Amino acid sequence: MKKRVAKLMALSMAAAMTASLAACGGGGSSDGDGGSGDGGSASGGEKEIVYWNIGTESPDKDVIAKAVEKFNSETESGYTVTSVPTQNDTYKEKLVVAMSSGECPDMYSCWSGGPMYEYIDSGFGQPIDDLFNASDIKDKLMESAIGQATYNDHVYAVPYQNVSMSGIFYNKEMFEEYKLEEPETLADLENICDTLKKNNITPFALANSSKWTGSMYYMNLAARYGGLEPFQKAVAGEGKFTDDCFIKAGEKIQEWVEAGYFPDGVNSLSEDDGQAKQLMYQETAGMLLCGSWYTGTFSTDSAEFYEKIGWFPFPAIEDSDADPSIMIGTVGDQFIVFNCEGDKLAAAFECAEAHLSDEVIDFEVENGKIPPVQGVDEMLTDSITKEVVEAANNASEIQLWYDQYLPPAVATAHLDGLQEVFGLTKTPMEAQEAMQKAMDDYLANKAE
Amino acid sequence: MGGKEISLEKLRQRETRRVAALFLAPVAILMAIYVVYPIIDTFITSTYQWNGISAAKKFIGIGNWKTLIADESFWIAFRNNLVIMVLSICIQIPIGLALATFLDFGGKKLTIFKVIWFIPLLMSSVAIGFLFTYALATNGGLVSTISGWFGGGNVDLLGNPKTALLTVIMVICWQFTPFYMVYFMAAFTNIPYDVFEAARIDGATRGQYFWKIAFPLLVPSMKSAAILSMVGSLKYFDLIYVMTGGGPGTSTELMATYMYKQSFSTFNMGYGSAVAGGMFILISMVSLITMKLLNGKEEA
Repeated sequence: MKKRVAKLMALSMAAAMTASLAACGGGGSSDGDGGSGDGGSASGGEKEIVYWNIGTESPDKDVIAKAVEKFNSETESGYTVTSVPTQNDTYKEKLVVAMSSGECPDMYSCWSGGPMYEYIDSGFGQPIDDLFNASDIKDKLMESAIGQATYNDHVYAVPYQNVSMSGIFYNKEMFEEYKLEEPETLADLENICDTLKKNNITPFALANSSKWTGSMYYMNLAARYGGLEPFQKAVAGEGKFTDDCFIKAGEKIQEWVEAGYFPDGVNSLSEDDGQAKQLMYQETAGMLLCGSWYTGTFSTDSAEFYEKIGWFPFPAIEDSDADPSIMIGTVGDQFIVFNCEGDKLAAAFECAEAHLSDEVIDFEVENGKIPPVQGVDEMLTDSITKEVVEAANNASEIQLWYDQYLPPAVATAHLDGLQEVFGLTKTPMEAQEAMQKAMDDYLANKAE
Repeated sequence: MGGKEISLEKLRQRETRRVAALFLAPVAILMAIYVVYPIIDTFITSTYQWNGISAAKKFIGIGNWKTLIADESFWIAFRNNLVIMVLSICIQIPIGLALATFLDFGGKKLTIFKVIWFIPLLMSSVAIGFLFTYALATNGGLVSTISGWFGGGNVDLLGNPKTALLTVIMVICWQFTPFYMVYFMAAFTNIPYDVFEAARIDGATRGQYFWKIAFPLLVPSMKSAAILSMVGSLKYFDLIYVMTGGGPGTSTELMATYMYKQSFSTFNMGYGSAVAGGMFILISMVSLITMKLLNGKEEA
């Protein structure tokens, strides 16, 4: 008897495991066709627009709440918007699960790039050209922001949140104490690191279990070594990710790891738990390379600490002829995509417009955000955000984060490989070869 | 009325069958909907190239399965699963047995230990994951602090590919050993008290009683426990997902986390389903073989 029970138990447990995945897959297959046509029907009441976003923390939370409130109180469309915020790192998966089970929200924000193209190709994003051309946000938004919201010559999304450029935040008091200055070149930067290291301060605060955080260093290094051309060529299938500039960037990172420029256990620290910024707050780390949304994070966490913070763009490399004005970042950060049609789409678009209304923009600016609208630099009072916008305006080109821009499979290969480069368990060449292989597979699939 | 005579025996049998069918129906229907159908659907999905959200699916036959067999990452994940399996069985069952024996011999006055040792099992895996991520943190974590007292440097357990898997296994054992403790405690109560008394009257020491009498009587429970632990280890997901996310690199990647990544992070639902199907086959095979081996002698 016992035997049979155990046997049954073992089998049913094995089965239950498989079932959990298939349940999701199964739902998708039956609802897939419905999802593309009338995706809105699955979610909410008829006059309700369900809006998914990642505003779980201030100030993002307040910005979205303000925009949604404005729409709900002023609209004449008869629709109401319900905002459903989800924590950043689980958001993407949740969205995919919702789409595969025909529960895609009517409007949702995402980071544009590869995943957004995937959503659109699968029928979960509607073009908004007509609404967009008739709206005054067309003239309000920065050109590059609209460019980032465009796919196959159609506008699909409304960028609203933040111009975010990657750059280096540093502790001004620390720099004064050790008589350091903002670096002009990579050699200057390494000198700074060495000085900090000598004084028992970790040069860079980095929490790399989240993986995309380490990619910030890599993207900037690669762009300074070889510009953006090698990357663009590799994405188009004309070049390779094993190009010299990528290998050099990986080697530089390993050199820095060995020199102790990053905190101990860098691959186990978590960005979501704020373990990088903690090092800055404890003043055990001197610099932090990340997106400029950190201005908001710092100032919300502690206005007092924010006074001590300075910012500079990633320095140039002496013997490289790459344009040092190139920036890595996003012009908009969050893009609202629409999965509904007709009146509902018009109402949802109106709500997106509310995100770009003057009062919401003022509120964003107050909270250290840089909304992707023209003339925003004149509204800014904060010196760091001013510097960021200046850098963005002066940039010859702005490249969106690799992990957002690339097809998801390639992005995963990039992030996994790079984490091992940080852990010194893979050589830069091995990591880049894996990334190239993922790209080859993707291009081969696409060509079929 | 001249109809067919039905014997009482037959009537009873028919009735039993009817009632059995009635009582089993709810479970059978639920199993069919939530277990049988999804398994079949997984295998069907695994023959498509599909991103998981699009309406367009492309039939590619056994293409995903071919990729799976040649996929190094999947086999690395399977190997990691096997490591977890072996170590889980070797650590959890002996410790669980030892704790249960201790409690069984100690009687009522040890109830406090029973309660304390049971606590880990009551916590959710995600909470345990977060708890240990902090306890094992390189900066200011428990291990680093202790190492600091003895003049050692910071210890990076979860971020180092060499130690990450072992560290997570220790946490898994911390969580599940109480389960086997309770399991064996129940098994102990199944041994009649007379047996113990008889052994004592015959002059057996407690040690002799345990090794010569209780232990052999517990062997069937141990076999079931081993199989439970085995299947649990092969389908493991939650703690790994919370603590390391499969990293650094692929050092703690398991079949289940790999399946998840393929299906949801990289938009590869078809291939993810093939991974799930592969898991299903591998786990069934390993379970069946082990059961044959464990029970072989009796059945022969």
